[in-house]
Amino acid sequence: MSKVLVSDPTLRDGNHAVEHKLRVEMIAAYAAAADAAHVPIVEVGHGNGLAASSMQVGESLVSDREMLTVARKNLPHSKLGIHVMPGFATIERDLKPALDIGVDVVRVACHCSEADITQRHIAYVRERGKQVFGVLMMSHMLEPGRLAEEAMKMETYGAEAIILMDSAGAFLPADIAKRVRTLVQTLHIPVGFHAHNNLGMAIANSIAALESGATIVDGTARGFGAGAGNAQLEVLVAVIERMGYDTGIDLYKLLDAADFAEREMIPVIPTIKSTSIVSGLAGVFSGFAKHVDRVSLQFHVDPRDVFFELGRRGIVAGQEDLIIEVAQELSLATPKEKAECL
Amino acid sequence: MSTNQYEFLQEDCAQSLGDDFGKLRALRDTRLLVTGGTGFVGSWITETIAFLNDRHHFGIHLTLLSSHASEFSSRAPHLAARHDVSLIEGDVRNLAEVPSDTDWIIHAAGSPDSRVHFSTPVRTIETIVLGTHAVLTAASRLSSLQRVLCLSSGLVCGPQQWDSAPLTESTYFGLDCNHLANLYVESKRAAEMITVACRSQFGLPVLTARLFTFVGPYQLLDRPWAINNFLSEALRGGPIRVQGSGDTVRSYMYGSDMAYWLLRLLVDGKIGGAYNVGSPTGTSLKNLAAKVAEHTSSRPIIELNTLPSGNIPSTRWLPDVSLAHADCGLGIRIELDQAIRRTIAWHSRY
Repeated sequence: MSKVLVSDPTLRDGNHAVEHKLRVEMIAAYAAAADAAHVPIVEVGHGNGLAASSMQVGESLVSDREMLTVARKNLPHSKLGIHVMPGFATIERDLKPALDIGVDVVRVACHCSEADITQRHIAYVRERGKQVFGVLMMSHMLEPGRLAEEAMKMETYGAEAIILMDSAGAFLPADIAKRVRTLVQTLHIPVGFHAHNNLGMAIANSIAALESGATIVDGTARGFGAGAGNAQLEVLVAVIERMGYDTGIDLYKLLDAADFAEREMIPVIPTIKSTSIVSGLAGVFSGFAKHVDRVSLQFHVDPRDVFFELGRRGIVAGQEDLIIEVAQELSLATPKEKAECL
Repeated sequence: MSTNQYEFLQEDCAQSLGDDFGKLRALRDTRLLVTGGTGFVGSWITETIAFLNDRHHFGIHLTLLSSHASEFSSRAPHLAARHDVSLIEGDVRNLAEVPSDTDWIIHAAGSPDSRVHFSTPVRTIETIVLGTHAVLTAASRLSSLQRVLCLSSGLVCGPQQWDSAPLTESTYFGLDCNHLANLYVESKRAAEMITVACRSQFGLPVLTARLFTFVGPYQLLDRPWAINNFLSEALRGGPIRVQGSGDTVRSYMYGSDMAYWLLRLLVDGKIGGAYNVGSPTGTSLKNLAAKVAEHTSSRPIIELNTLPSGNIPSTRWLPDVSLAHADCGLGIRIELDQAIRRTIAWHSRY
């Protein structure tokens, strides 16, 4: 029976869905429930990761220190993971204190073509003797060969696994299968996949990744995550266990954790809204959805137009300020110019 | 501190050269240029030349060309301050000329660090291929030139099969030249062919040394190789983490042995020849980790299969060094246990 390592970013990606307002007691209770279900890795933090709380991408209700401290306390068995983007998190100010609190797994993430910026963070985590994964976000934006080259950089920097993120929920199963196969053939370390559900493909894509050689998958309770949400963890575990994979997770207790999340943490269960479909088709980061909706309302433009224009410009996470620019330009554009954008 | 470091490393040179220092007499009162002269290879060659000059009055003048020459003064002040060592800061890619009275050249420029290869692939190719061309072109203008030894890599043989014999200089397993993972190797292969072309067309007295795996002082512990990771983790108190099952096999030559081999090949190797340089005695990474733990005062624990999931395939990479032995009588003087002990002691003290 093939073993699959499941990582649960409910308490990180889910923060996107509530504008980073998860409360301490929610983090404590969900972490404890996930730990009881033997979820191997529980990822915690601001939606954009360590030290990302800011006016630009949204301010957290709870500080990183508090989130990690309470999660650590409630994860006696599961590993505590964090998402780290070098643009937000610095080594001395942010990463060092996080590791001191007791983080076990650091997932150092960057845009899929910018692995170079992860070297120092990855090296630091290795130096501290903790587990470190490299994460390539927006992985639909590179073809498999180039993606593998970026992954190779991370491997040489010291990453112990590479996670491909479908940040825009843009993949179809064949897309992720090609990429995973190429990475598995190229790398010496495990490959994982983190799905978003914009096109309703999160579970199917996760399965395609596993069938193509991935051994790590992410999923969140009820799919609680940015935009249309992630692969729904309890469904994912049920399906892949049925397929013969071994996750080591106690399904009943995982279902209890998901029920708790729905009852206490998730104000609106993620559904695939029209803007999510458009963001998936446009290949734009799922986390943009709330910003796009808000800004579109402000400038009286169709959020679908905004998404397609953002996609045309190849906008990536961290460029949230351009949403306003695009919406403003669209509000001033003539009908003919708008049609050309599409 | 410098004197102690000097004495520590001179002991190693004395052991590696033994009574054979006389076999390097062709180097007496000559001038040697080393490109990439402040790295692991260059530093050990400098220690060995210091040994020959200080203990046996060889009167060799050494010029180290490096793009990091200014850092050498802080890293190895006892070498940088020597009157018989000159430092030239320069990039081998742009090398137009070398000191006109140069007799010998060891061309060691080019980092073997895969992080550098994948992060700056174009610069990597330029340094290896254009750098070799530049050095050999400059060498061809020297009136007193005796020989040039170009350093290549044992990787040019391609990936060794698990059950195959140790790699001889003529072994070749084939590589995909349309894959970035093979960038360094293909560059080294091209550089080797440049030496062949320059020997053929210009009659340049050039030969090649293919380096395998090494251990010792001057090796930076942040490099992405197993032994560096093991030493680094052990010196921090452990645990020593082995990514796979630990069955992968490598061999390790100590720095002073390597320097002696390179100088002997420079002097006595056959022009046009290619020689493997490394230890023929393989050890599993599991065994290597155990040795590192045994020689570290904190006795760190060893963890196997530390990757989060999946299996890492075991590989084997071992040189057959019978050609270096047959042509120059070269052998290993510092065995692995002593090499590890000395390396840990050096990192602990300096």
